[in-house]
Amino acid sequence: MSKRRLKFSKLNMAKFISHLDLMRCFQRAIMRSGLPVEYSQGFNPHQRMTFALPLPVGVTGEGEFADISFEDGKVTDEEIKERLNKNLPPDIQVLSVGDLIFKAADIVCAEYTMKLYSDKKIDTEKIKEFFGKDEVIVMKRNKKKVEKPINIMEYIRAWEVIDETERTLTLRLVLDAGGERNLKPEIVAAKICEGDENMCADDADICRTKIFCRSGDVLELFR
Amino acid sequence: MYKKKFEACLKRVQKPARYIGNEFNSIHKEMTSDMMSFAFCFPDVYEVGMSHLGIKILYHMMNEWEDTVCERVFAPWDDMEQEMKKEGIPLLSLESYTPVREFDMVGFTLQYEMSYSNIVNMLKLAGIPLRTRERKIGDPFVCCGGPCAYHAEPLSDLVDFFILGEGEDIMREIMQAYKEWRGSGRTREEYLETIAKIEGIYVPSFYDVEYNDDNTIKSFEPNRDCAPKKVKKRIILNFDDTYIPEKLIVPFMEVVHDRIMLELFRGCIRGCRFCQAGYIYRPVRERSVKRLVGAARNAIDATGYEEMTLSSLSTSDYTCLFELIDELLKITVDKRINLSLPSLRVDNFSMELMEKVQKVKKSGLTFAPEAGTQRLRDVINKNVREEELIRTTSIAFEGGYNRVKLYFMMGLPTETDDDVLGIGDLADKVIDAFYQVPPEKRKGRSVTVTVSTSLFVPKPFTPFQWEPQNRISELERKASMLSKSITNRKIIYNWHSSQVSFLEAVFAKGDRRLGEVLISAVEFGCKFDGWTDFFDYEKWMKAFEINGIDPEFYAYRRIGYDEILPWDYADIGVNKSFFIAEHKRAYEEKTTPSCREKCAGCGAAQFGGGVCFE
Repeated sequence: MSKRRLKFSKLNMAKFISHLDLMRCFQRAIMRSGLPVEYSQGFNPHQRMTFALPLPVGVTGEGEFADISFEDGKVTDEEIKERLNKNLPPDIQVLSVGDLIFKAADIVCAEYTMKLYSDKKIDTEKIKEFFGKDEVIVMKRNKKKVEKPINIMEYIRAWEVIDETERTLTLRLVLDAGGERNLKPEIVAAKICEGDENMCADDADICRTKIFCRSGDVLELFR
Repeated sequence: MYKKKFEACLKRVQKPARYIGNEFNSIHKEMTSDMMSFAFCFPDVYEVGMSHLGIKILYHMMNEWEDTVCERVFAPWDDMEQEMKKEGIPLLSLESYTPVREFDMVGFTLQYEMSYSNIVNMLKLAGIPLRTRERKIGDPFVCCGGPCAYHAEPLSDLVDFFILGEGEDIMREIMQAYKEWRGSGRTREEYLETIAKIEGIYVPSFYDVEYNDDNTIKSFEPNRDCAPKKVKKRIILNFDDTYIPEKLIVPFMEVVHDRIMLELFRGCIRGCRFCQAGYIYRPVRERSVKRLVGAARNAIDATGYEEMTLSSLSTSDYTCLFELIDELLKITVDKRINLSLPSLRVDNFSMELMEKVQKVKKSGLTFAPEAGTQRLRDVINKNVREEELIRTTSIAFEGGYNRVKLYFMMGLPTETDDDVLGIGDLADKVIDAFYQVPPEKRKGRSVTVTVSTSLFVPKPFTPFQWEPQNRISELERKASMLSKSITNRKIIYNWHSSQVSFLEAVFAKGDRRLGEVLISAVEFGCKFDGWTDFFDYEKWMKAFEINGIDPEFYAYRRIGYDEILPWDYADIGVNKSFFIAEHKRAYEEKTTPSCREKCAGCGAAQFGGGVCFE
């Protein structure tokens, strides 16, 4: 058995596909492709498939990761990519296939682009002010489903404005991500737009562009 | 144009995947001005509509034509409807997010009466004028097909034309006529006059209805030459030659029937007297094993589905069932595909068949004896005998099953309290059958029998079309009597609200005066009546009241044989005289053999094919 790591994109309207539906979509694409995947043993055999960091519904992804087990030595990485892309819907495509370098458990943060829209001239200064704040509290459910206040500013590692027009503003953000500490980008969008009647967080285009993990003392691009 | 706002709406609703389209195998054609566009509307949510075989057939078939683009439209769930209204977005198609009102044709499939309010609601959301007389050049034509189209008089004022029978051939004729009409400068009425001459097309505005003082129909006549006195349904005789969609759309989200549906045949040989499907699809026409296996193989390759089901009215009546299952298992087992067989009749279910299906997965067993006593089963012509049911369940218990579901109807014609109590007795006997099986062969220490009863709805085009429905209070009395009589805790008894069944009877047997009731009901907020969260009986009653219509007239009245019925214009190929004879035989408790045992002379032989000439 050989486990391969697939880097894929999830774009356009595919951002509304839930994690569970995405898994089923991959399973059926694999069935159609006829690729020799490994099945689990047991009463109800299923394909072995894990995703590094599920995307929130409503957020696109330019570099997402899925680990899938194939039968040893039967297909090349290039074949996997080619045959899967023929059998995946257009908005979900495999970008590359390779070895598993890092562990998903070591993922610590992710980079997003966020395009905000306003009905009137956008108030850039106000947005910059937002990132200067020490404390912005939101209620967040922890794993035990208990609501707790958190300061989201502690989860924002970096930010910058990368594009600006009269009515739009595009940000690059690096936010904590992974099993231990995670901040959903749409929460940041909601807080930025809060109280501004010309802006609606639901209009924001959010895309996850990179995932980072800890490797010793340094951050590495997850791959 | 609406895409950005539409996307924002999707971030605020449950299950946004219902509205995104772009599934694998969905078809995206450019809608150029020389193309004809057809919006195929299913009046329920995505996951219900995508489980329907008819939409798959016609969607893929029409999109194979170079001059036509067919896109899907489903009813938005209430949360999405509210969001779209807030943003001023009209009803859009799934493929290209095009407003439905911009299509040339808007076609609804009528699967059951309780979806009529959704049709009205979808027309409203689309911004299409509700009544046919309000539509002008530039508005789409609204048409309806499907099983209820034979008796959808309540929709007559809202629908430009109905398509009676199987859509595979007739759709091309309708679109061809449209192509010739479009841009010719002729009126909408002239287009309808052209297609009224096509066999299977019913244009309700071309018929005038007069009523007697007692509200029965006095006359129902065509008001112009192009409209036939009776509209005969369309069927396809050589069923092997019909279109089978293979590159089926594979939804992202889970839908109700999330699997390949292999249609073995159309029609049913049985003639259960309560069952409309058993008559309107006559005569039975089968596909060959070779054609089915080929289609199954292609569909598996094209979809990657992990499950396939054999889908027909009474699947086990397929003449080459064993051969077919053998051939299908050769494909499915290796690919880990689960083959499931629904709607098995108890009388020919066998151990052998069960073992074959079990190769892949063991699922629960469901039987529908429909009535509790042999006497009543004879009345309804459900040719299932108690000993057969017990024999089959015993075999199932030996095979390791320990859960059985039994479905019954209450309020059937001639039903007595003894028949009702017979339901509990039958369930007891199934429990006894479990304990007759040697313990080493059974699975689990105990057995569960789930009994469900529903209220019988008399339907047009059945021998019971003249019958009154049981009143809700009468059903409640019977259900509580049965419930009290069931003491065995291994039997779970379920029964549900009969208010929906009452309205179903009203709209199944209703006439065109109900159109305004429908419009009022939707104004009051009625929609998704098949969903208990939405069904609001009080609103419906208010809608009847303000329109001065008594719903009980339609549901609770015994209709005379000589009365003009609101659905008499439709000719399904089965004669009224046959229904009268069958109705009388029911009261004599006489059964009628299946089409394969002995022809009962229903009239369907006039089509010149199918089981009538086997």
